[in-house]
Parts: sequence; C-alpha cells; structure tokens
Amino acid sequence: MRWQWSEVQSLDLLAGTPVNCLLLRTYPQSFVSAATGRGLVTLAILTPSGDVVAAARRALGANVTGLVLEGEFPEGTAAGVREAAAGAPVIELTARNRLALGSNASVVGTYQGVWPGIAIDENGAKKSGPTASVWIDTNTGFLRSVHAWGEAAVWIANEPPAKMAITGSRYLQAIADAAISGARWVLALDADFAGRLARGDAPALADWKRIAGLLNYFERHPEWRHMQESGKLALVQDPGKGGLLSGGILDMIAVKHTPVRPIARQNLTPKALDGATMAVNVDGDALTPEQKEVLRGFTRAGGTLLTGPPGWKDPTPTGANITLEQAELERLNDIWHDVNSMVGRRNMGVRLFNVSSMLSNLLASEDGKSAVLHLVNYSDYPVEDVAVHYLGNYRHATLITPEGADKKLEVYETDEGLGVDLDKVLVCATVRLEQ
Amino acid sequence: MTRREWLAMIGVAGAAPLVKAAVPDAPTAPVAIAKCASYDEDVAAKLGAMFDQLGGIDKLVRNKTVTIKINMTGPTSQRVQGRALGLTHYTHPKLVGATAYLLGRAGARRIRFVESAWGTGGPLEDVMLDSGWNVRSLQSAAAGVEFENTNAIGKGKRYATFKVPANPYMYPAYVLNHAYEETDVFVSLAKLKNHITCGVTLSMKNCFGMTPASIYGDDAGRDEPNENPTKGRQAVCHDGKRQPSKIAPPELHPTGSREAEYRIPHITADLAAARPIHLAILDGVESIAGGEGPWVRGVRMVKPGVLIAGTNPVTTDVVSMAVMGYNPRAPRGTAPFQHCENTLLLAEAHGVGTTDLKRIEVRGVAIEQALYRYDR
Repeated sequence: MRWQWSEVQSLDLLAGTPVNCLLLRTYPQSFVSAATGRGLVTLAILTPSGDVVAAARRALGANVTGLVLEGEFPEGTAAGVREAAAGAPVIELTARNRLALGSNASVVGTYQGVWPGIAIDENGAKKSGPTASVWIDTNTGFLRSVHAWGEAAVWIANEPPAKMAITGSRYLQAIADAAISGARWVLALDADFAGRLARGDAPALADWKRIAGLLNYFERHPEWRHMQESGKLALVQDPGKGGLLSGGILDMIAVKHTPVRPIARQNLTPKALDGATMAVNVDGDALTPEQKEVLRGFTRAGGTLLTGPPGWKDPTPTGANITLEQAELERLNDIWHDVNSMVGRRNMGVRLFNVSSMLSNLLASEDGKSAVLHLVNYSDYPVEDVAVHYLGNYRHATLITPEGADKKLEVYETDEGLGVDLDKVLVCATVRLEQ
Repeated sequence: MTRREWLAMIGVAGAAPLVKAAVPDAPTAPVAIAKCASYDEDVAAKLGAMFDQLGGIDKLVRNKTVTIKINMTGPTSQRVQGRALGLTHYTHPKLVGATAYLLGRAGARRIRFVESAWGTGGPLEDVMLDSGWNVRSLQSAAAGVEFENTNAIGKGKRYATFKVPANPYMYPAYVLNHAYEETDVFVSLAKLKNHITCGVTLSMKNCFGMTPASIYGDDAGRDEPNENPTKGRQAVCHDGKRQPSKIAPPELHPTGSREAEYRIPHITADLAAARPIHLAILDGVESIAGGEGPWVRGVRMVKPGVLIAGTNPVTTDVVSMAVMGYNPRAPRGTAPFQHCENTLLLAEAHGVGTTDLKRIEVRGVAIEQALYRYDR
C-alpha cells in the first residue's frame, strides 16, 4: 500500500488488515522502525531525479526493507541501485511498455493503469464501448495478459485520478479488478479519503473496514492466484504489444462475458491450447514458423481459428498512452465483430446473465476438478438475480463473498450444461465449482 | 377528492377541450382496478379477483393457445439508477408469472410469452435471464409455457400478415412473427407509464413492439428480412426515412408526415385494429413517469400501486389514463399529448373501443381511489 503518513500512530489503521507492505515517499527512521516492529515490509519509493543511487543509500540508512524505483530511469540506474542495495529487494514500477516481461523478476509492476469503473461520457450518460454494451474501464485485460507470461507477481500501482470524488465502492472495484486477474493493486488513497481517515471520520473508517475486508477475502484464497485461465476460447497475443493496452481485444471480449484464455505468443504450444475449440490470433505476422505450425495443428484437429486481417499489426503502447487510439479501436472493432460472430451464443465455458455492469474471470485448477468464477460489479448498486450457466461436470457449487459465510448453491441442469443462480452481488463474489 | 373534483381535474367534465366527439357506437367493456402496493403482495390473488370482476377468463382461454405480449423495452443493460427492470420500465416478472399461473388454472392449453427484444433475434429466454428474471420459475408457473422473441422470424417458418381492417392510417398491413397469428387469444401485459413519443404507453402502445426489427428495423434488409437484427426501428417507423423490407407493404403516404409523434400513434392504432387484443393488463405497481425508459432524460420512479385489466384495450387504456390523472380524450397540445397525437382517439376512430369514460364500467377500486398523478 502507498502510505502517505509518517506518524507512528497512523499504523494503528492497519490493525486487522492483511496489508503487510508499505510504499513510502518519506521514511523517518522512527516510523520505519515502528513499522518493522509490527512485521511490516517498508519500501522506499525512489523517483528519477537527482542522484538516485545516493537516495537509495539514504533510504537504506533509514533501515527500510527495500526500494521501489518508480518511473523511467536512465539506462543502468536500476543496476546501480541494486548494487547499492546489497541484496535488499528492489522493485521496479515502470511504464507498461518497459515491463520486464518474461524476466526472472519476482515482481513486475507498473504505475500505469486506468481507474476501474463504468465509463461515463461527458454528458453523464453511461458510455457504450465498441461492443455496444455498457463499457467498463478495467485493467483486467492487461493484467491477465501479463499474468499469462511468466511466474512473476504482478503489481499495478496506479493512483486514484485527481479531481474525482471516489467512493468506498470504487476502491473495492479497483482491488477486485486486479485480484480477479491474479494481480495486486497497490492500494493508494486519494487525499480527501486519507484526510478523513486520519481524522477518524466514521464513514471513512467504515469504508476502510470494507476495503480491509475485501483484501482479507482475496488473501484468504491464495490458491486462486495460481489457477489457470479457463474456457474454450483462446486468445493468442503478445503481452509485450497489444496485451499491454487497456480497452483492447481481451477487454472487449470480457465485457461481453465470454470467458477467454489469454495465451502469450511466446508460450504458444499445443498444450497451451488444450481444451480450446476456438482461437483468435490477433497478429498473424508476429508468429514464428513453429508457432504458426501449432495453430495449423489446432485447426487440423477441428479447432476454429480467427486471424487478424492481413497487414494488421497489434498496436503497442508508447509511453504515457495505455489505451487504444481511435483508429486502432476501429480496426480492432472489426476483429471483435468477427469474434462475436464466431462465438455467437455458444457457451465457451460459462454464460452469464444479468451482468451488464460486471466483469468476470473463469479459472480452473490444474487437475480440472474444480473451478472458480470471479464476478466484480462496477456499478454503484447491488446486482440481483444473476444466472450462471456453465460447462463441465461440476455438481457442487458454493457462493463465496467478502460479506458472509460460504453458501451452497442449488445446481440445476440447463440446455448446455449446469447452472446456478445468485441472489445478489454487491461488489464482488466468487462461485467455487467442484466435481 | 370527490368524483366531481376528479372529473374536473382530468378535464372530462365541464368545458370540453377542442376535440371531436366520442364515437357513439364504439365498443365498450368493463375495466377492473385493484390496489397492489408491492410485488411482494399476492399478485396472483389480486389479478385473479380482477379477472373474476371481468366475468372470468375460463371461457376465453380454456383449451386455447394464449399469446401474451409483455413489455421489455430497450436494452437489458440500461437501468434506472441500477434498479431491477421490472421495478421501472419492464413488466414485472412476478406479474408475468402470476398471469401464466392464472391462465393455466383457467385451462389454457399453451401460454406463449412474446416480445420483440431490443437489438437481437436470439432466444427470449436469454433476454429474460439478462433482465434478472427466473425463466425456470416462469416455465413452472403453468403447463405449456413457451417463449418467442418476435423481433425476427424466431421459431416459425414464415411471417404472418395482418391487414388493417378499414381505413388504415400508415401501412395497409403489418408483417409480424407467426406467434401473433398462431394464437386463439392475444393478451397485452403492459406497463403503466409515459412515453416520450406517444404521451403514454399502455396496452396498445405496448403492442407497437410486435413489429419485428428484422423487417421494420434500421438494419432490416431492403429486399429480405434481416434475421439477425441489432438495431431499433427509428428509420422505418419513427422517422419514415426508409420503407420496411419488401416482404411488408410500404406505407400508404410516402410523402406524408415524417414526424415520429404523428407516425407512432397512428401505427399503434393501426396495429390495435389489425391484431385485436382480447385482454389488456396494466402493471402500475411500480413504474416510471416522464418517459418509457432510462434513455429519456428526466424519468423518475413512481409507485402508483395499481393493477388495471380489461377485455377492450381502448377502454382499459382510457381508465388507465384517468388513473394517471390525465384526460383520456385530451387532444394534441394537452398533457400528456403536448407534442403528439392521442393514440386512444385514433384507435376509437378505427372502431376498436370507446374513449368515453362515462360509457365504461369500472369494477373493483374506483378511479378516484386509485388516482396517481403522473404529472406533478
């Protein structure tokens, strides 16, 4: 969590929360010492100004646990800081297009993200996206794409947008947006909320309690982070190109509630396509001959393959730009329409109903004996009467929510498989399916 | 409020507005009103009592196929302040279930719910699920419950043509999904609300939604219907910018009005004559005022707490308008028809039913007791 206070007493807010790591812009020794005494990891944030190596030494002199390099540093700076750190952890929060994807870093992180929520246009109306559904700004496509390549923990450390009133629910949505994608949002509070929290304002404390509750909810289930993306539709994309963007093809498919498995182009093997019946290859020209052969094998075995139009290049983010330009959006929309036609009303693992304000993620255990379906509600209102129709012989279903005890769900048969109904979803819910 | 005060308020007594006299021999039929404060009440019992007040429905539906046009206007994703669709602008699923149950109990052989779902030719069950409705529960409300999305050809093999019996206003005939023909009884299960283009949307305007977008939609084929429609009916029906697919006859007056506020009331009245409604039911338990859906700026949620039913759509709509606090014979320029024609008067002129409130027997709760003013 980004921690904006340096008074020791502020640490009392963390009692009962699973927050165990603080990112600090200021790090008085007394504060660091108190935090360490409470078992917290303290990371000093260094930014690209002045003598960064000297700043690193000063921070380490204050006994912080490690360092965070946030921003774009000159070549070689990170190596110099690592040398100065002498084994202390150094985490880089970079622009998306500079993420060390596929490296052996234990954490890959970025400071760039969209603020999750239902997109509102300038007239206050809900914005429809390229799919003509209510559009939801989300980092899930980017996070799932990055998560699909390598074992590193994925951090997204964007801060709340300025000049926006942010309700407690919006924080919950930001946490859940990252968590259902196997990543962590580095909690960052806006100035107004932080001020009210510091003053002990009761509504702010109530929101803080809900935030802690949701963090606990995901921390109680570390197994979810290691489950595999599931579904019969696979999307082959380079996480280092279009996969870095928000609002891309993964998000377009997600907003239509079709489960889709991102496969990093670099990891494209016959095994990666196991169980898929349809695949989308966004950038046909980017594949190696071996990878092209994998897709040929997929179609020979009966799979349906959709390839981006000839000449299409998967767009790559540049610097501060992490969403699609209008022209790219329009071109990607064509691919989206083809995907939509290909999928139609088929059940690609799960079909969800009455979820226009939600995003979901279907994950399966490695042995296939269990699966979880995460749901996040991005509206300001609870959603009632959600229907879930799923494939697979999962005869037992349990509803898990941050608010209450687990609840067994009645499983019924549908035309295409099995189904369960959910009475109400506040911000987040998970359905665990077991054979 | 006394009956005199109420009649004065809605303008059917005293100084008559400048409107032609009611058609003296237009058919009339009784209308039943019941109070129902919430969908948590026993909706089936209340509706059953209303059917009894109308003389019972057994004779009407026993061993018959009954087709029920419900109101699911607009995309399921568009909500009024996140509320369930049935609490605002859709017919409420509990009333839908109660209707099926009562029709089944009265001996209906087949009960088919129909709607031309917005922007899709897919199964109506999917749209209902997307609306948060429990389809399994509706299916178990009675034997023989079916669903048909009439926005395209659906489960049928051909479309059905409905001629307007005499003096059609806009089109000589309308081409609709087979479900509207393959039925013995036709029910309009509508919502009590305003409409931005028609002033009110009641049992007759609900049936404007019979028109399939495959033929009358913005993306309908010029020659052949488009069986995968994704758009509304703005260009053909509202604005008259193009003609329907050639399977349907073109409009009678291609150089006539292009104004939606003229065209839609006339089309609605044509449809009420072409495809007669045998039973009209209005869901006024909870609704919206100021428009027909969340896309209309300024709509607000209302709780009139009433159910209204009758066997003539015009008389039922007349009583419904009176309950909403309007003069059912209000001419254009007068609320709620400030900018549009009065569909009820147009339907009356087609001989569908009388708009003369004095000729309509109201059973159950009196209008004055059910009054809920939509204009505040």
